[in-house]
Amino acid sequence: MRSLWLQVAAATAINLKSISQRRWLSLSTVIAIALVVIVLLAFLAMANGFQRTIAGSGADDIAIVLRAGSQAEINSTVSRDQVRVIEDGPGIARGSDGKPLISPELYLVVDGIKRTTKTKANLPLRGIGEQGSELRKDVRITAGRMFNRGSNEVVVGKALLREFEGLDLGSTVSFGATRWTVVGVFEAGGSVFESEIWADLSVVQSLFNRNNIVQTVRARLTGPAALNELKSYSDNDPRLKLDVKSEASYFAEQASQTSDLIQKLGWPLAIAMALGAVAGALNTMYSSVAARATEIATLRAIGFGGFPAFVGTLAESLLLAVIGGLLGAAATYLIFDGLTASTLGGNFTQVVFDFKLSPWLIAEGVMLALIVGLIGGLFPALRAARLPIVEGLYAN
Amino acid sequence: MNDFDLVRKNLFRRKLRASLMIVSILIAFMIFGVLAGFYRAFTAGEDAAAADRMITVNKINFTQPMPIAYFNRVKAVEGVRQVTFANWFGGYYQDPKNFIMALAIEPNTYFDVYRSEIDVPPEQLQAFIRDRGSAVVGETLAQKWGWKIGDRIPLNSNIFSQKSGGHTWDLTIVGIAKGKAQHVDTNFLLFQYPYFDETRSFGKDTIGWMILQTTSPENNDRVAKTIDAMFANSTAETSTDTEKAFGKAFAAQFGNIALIVLLVVGAAFITILMIVGNTMALSIRERTREIGVLKTLGFSGPRILTMVLGESVLLALLGGIPGLAIAALIAMALRTSLANIAPAFAVSPTIALQGLALMIALGLITGIIPALNAMRLKIATALGRG
Repeated sequence: MRSLWLQVAAATAINLKSISQRRWLSLSTVIAIALVVIVLLAFLAMANGFQRTIAGSGADDIAIVLRAGSQAEINSTVSRDQVRVIEDGPGIARGSDGKPLISPELYLVVDGIKRTTKTKANLPLRGIGEQGSELRKDVRITAGRMFNRGSNEVVVGKALLREFEGLDLGSTVSFGATRWTVVGVFEAGGSVFESEIWADLSVVQSLFNRNNIVQTVRARLTGPAALNELKSYSDNDPRLKLDVKSEASYFAEQASQTSDLIQKLGWPLAIAMALGAVAGALNTMYSSVAARATEIATLRAIGFGGFPAFVGTLAESLLLAVIGGLLGAAATYLIFDGLTASTLGGNFTQVVFDFKLSPWLIAEGVMLALIVGLIGGLFPALRAARLPIVEGLYAN
Repeated sequence: MNDFDLVRKNLFRRKLRASLMIVSILIAFMIFGVLAGFYRAFTAGEDAAAADRMITVNKINFTQPMPIAYFNRVKAVEGVRQVTFANWFGGYYQDPKNFIMALAIEPNTYFDVYRSEIDVPPEQLQAFIRDRGSAVVGETLAQKWGWKIGDRIPLNSNIFSQKSGGHTWDLTIVGIAKGKAQHVDTNFLLFQYPYFDETRSFGKDTIGWMILQTTSPENNDRVAKTIDAMFANSTAETSTDTEKAFGKAFAAQFGNIALIVLLVVGAAFITILMIVGNTMALSIRERTREIGVLKTLGFSGPRILTMVLGESVLLALLGGIPGLAIAALIAMALRTSLANIAPAFAVSPTIALQGLALMIALGLITGIIPALNAMRLKIATALGRG
């Protein structure tokens, strides 16, 4: 048994040392595998970053109320009368003054100019109720101050400011004929709210001719379990044809569509490229076996078995694959991780997000590389193991 | 045996190696075909845009409404041949997942503005104009749901509700619209704005956007300036742009799709270039002696150069052409499911030609170094080696 392992170790060592004789072919395999991994990981990091930004935005103890069937805030309408009925609903937490903690909100799309392309893009302008910022996690003004109620002032999300121009602190922005002053910049724990512009609900309502109408109502619940109470209250009131969801599940739905799409693009592309890389790896490994035919036959002639030759060849292929996989992961990390991008989200407005790699994603990338290496090495390794000794000795 | 036979025999001397290279080239061109086809379909609106067509939207954003009164005022602007308008409906059929690209349109003018793209038989158009509760459905959409003329369908909106409560509008299909060219997307449903406006519970007398046709593209700038100046300082200022510019800006909102496509195709090609280039070099090196023999027999250097290049180009074509063919099949299979994002997804003749050019380039690039080496090879060295 021990001698078999010694044989395997010796054959593997010979294999790995001979890589330098085929350096260009081996290098091309490594790079091919690295490129496959880069393409896969770039897409997965994009989907992951988008998912984290949106799915991380929602809380379990915040209820969001939309018109039934509207799916996204932008489509929804809720009348002032409905807001009053909701206010009296069960399960809604109350402040120290006894008022319900709710925020009726208006969600409008305005034009902004993207810094990189100088093209128009849809930005969300959200008119929020008095409690609006308290109903969101970790909202903090990082520069300037909060808008004053009743005035034409806006605060701008940190991410939005970074990607779109003309929204700097102190500047005046026009949305159509209306003019607004940017008085503050806010952060919101990396959530999608950082891609928004906030203003006072009543000012937005009057300047955009949306009096008596809002789009959504957010409410702080007494606890996540209170959601069902509010839901059945709404379902049983014929005046309210509304959907009541937890904010967390609302955002999870929003995130899944786009990130599914990105993943659905990424995997088939990576698999197609991986097939190409498998062809490349097979080629390299068959050349390796052919180049070492004499060597392998010599080893066999002096008593080595077929198994060490098999392991040696497979080990060479797997090594090339691991190097390629790690190289690809490292390159993706250096090029893409933290890269800011923005795209249209479920609400028809721009969502700013960062590409985000995770250890699990890197593992997926390296796994794909290993599969390429395994398939690419398996058949040449079988050939090496079965090589007839006499033929091998006269190979050259 | 002519030179071509020799090239072919050389290529397939190691069948496995040749097949593997053909497979990897096939995959690269498959990726190229699918992505180029997707990109073309995604930006089809831009290319299809007529030069004399312009879009007027609310200056705040194109999702903001404007008063219907603007329609008549724009009609009177000098240099405007025809104008029509539309309103986004947010349609779906039966389940919110079944999105329907539905618009409430001005029935008398819409098909005139789009006459070079959309074809509706005159009698169907007449029926549409006569019947307030009717709809014209694009061919692709009609096929998707099996709708026929005379069918009555319930169309839901995720935005609007009826005055009577409920979010469903019942519409009778009276016409099927066909695209006049392959790139025209017919995945839409159009119904009468007057009916929509009178039954909806809010937003009365507002429209989404206007589409206008100028008397000549030269008038575009002047017409745009006149219209936007007309509504300046009103509560709904406008922004008028050519259809092409509008489509381009909208496509850009999804992110830099062109760059992503370019990077992926680039990565696939670099991979193939390296693998094939190296393997070609290897296989020519193995044949050094033979090349020496050919030279001894009187084959000239340039002739050998051509033969080696011929071999690598043949390899690229053998992989690339089936690759593009598979891409065309994939595009056909995905066309319906991607109809909303990339209508008329196909590998067009232009893409096929670009692919062909790329194949030849790939063949020449991967073959050039081994070919030059083979050409310069001295007989004595060649025969002495190995």
